[in-house]
Amino acid sequence: MSWSSRLASLLPGAVARDTGGTEPDPRFTFANERTFLAWSRTALALVVAGLGIVQLLPPFPGVPAGRHLLGVPLIALGAVLAVVAYAEWVRNQHALRRGEPMPKSNMPWILAAAITGMAIVSAIVLLISAVR
Amino acid sequence: MTTPQAPSPDEGADQAGDDPEEHTPGLARERTSLAWTRTAISFAALGGVVLKANVVTGLIIVALAPVIWQLGRMTRGSAPEVGDRLPAVPVVGATRLFIIAIAIAAVALLCLIVAIFGKSVPGALR
Repeated sequence: MSWSSRLASLLPGAVARDTGGTEPDPRFTFANERTFLAWSRTALALVVAGLGIVQLLPPFPGVPAGRHLLGVPLIALGAVLAVVAYAEWVRNQHALRRGEPMPKSNMPWILAAAITGMAIVSAIVLLISAVR
Repeated sequence: MTTPQAPSPDEGADQAGDDPEEHTPGLARERTSLAWTRTAISFAALGGVVLKANVVTGLIIVALAPVIWQLGRMTRGSAPEVGDRLPAVPVVGATRLFIIAIAIAAVALLCLIVAIFGKSVPGALR
């Protein structure tokens, strides 16, 4: 499946036309929706954190671009997370309708790797600014 | 693990296990509704932070909060009839969720612009 057809299958119209399988237990539909909303709030929290770092923190001595180095990737990650969360919701709903095993999610791995990376960069920036 | 399909009202009684939710499945709708409310509050909180940096952008984001809350109200749908074991099957909210995802991506883009080009207020957290 090409990328364009994959993206097209994520549009709300294409999801509504997906009538394969049967309607799942409403509790599972609600749970899937709540999971999406939880990821959305995580994405918003990343955006808030990124903006707070860039706009509200005092500059790091000796690292002029330090705040942007830490904040901008967090904001970008928030945007990516929101879109990926929607794609995951579509995939999960597709599986629920068909009674298939739930697809494996890469989102926890992406988030954990990003947070770890940001923690390392933060430590480096703080060490450099402490030395100078 | 395969996922169960929608049971009939009679089957619902047989499926109840140790999980309190299984005894009162209408709580799933309630929790989902609360999750929408939390998401709307998150938008308002983000808008509040952005207000400090850029008033217009902040107001746009704060204005999104009631819209998100209104989208969440659709989840509640009609009140379940007395004696219903399961809530009515919700309409699959692809459009609503798509709007949320696009809204967050757009808000993140706005924040990115504010973060890069906006005037910072360093020391506000001191």
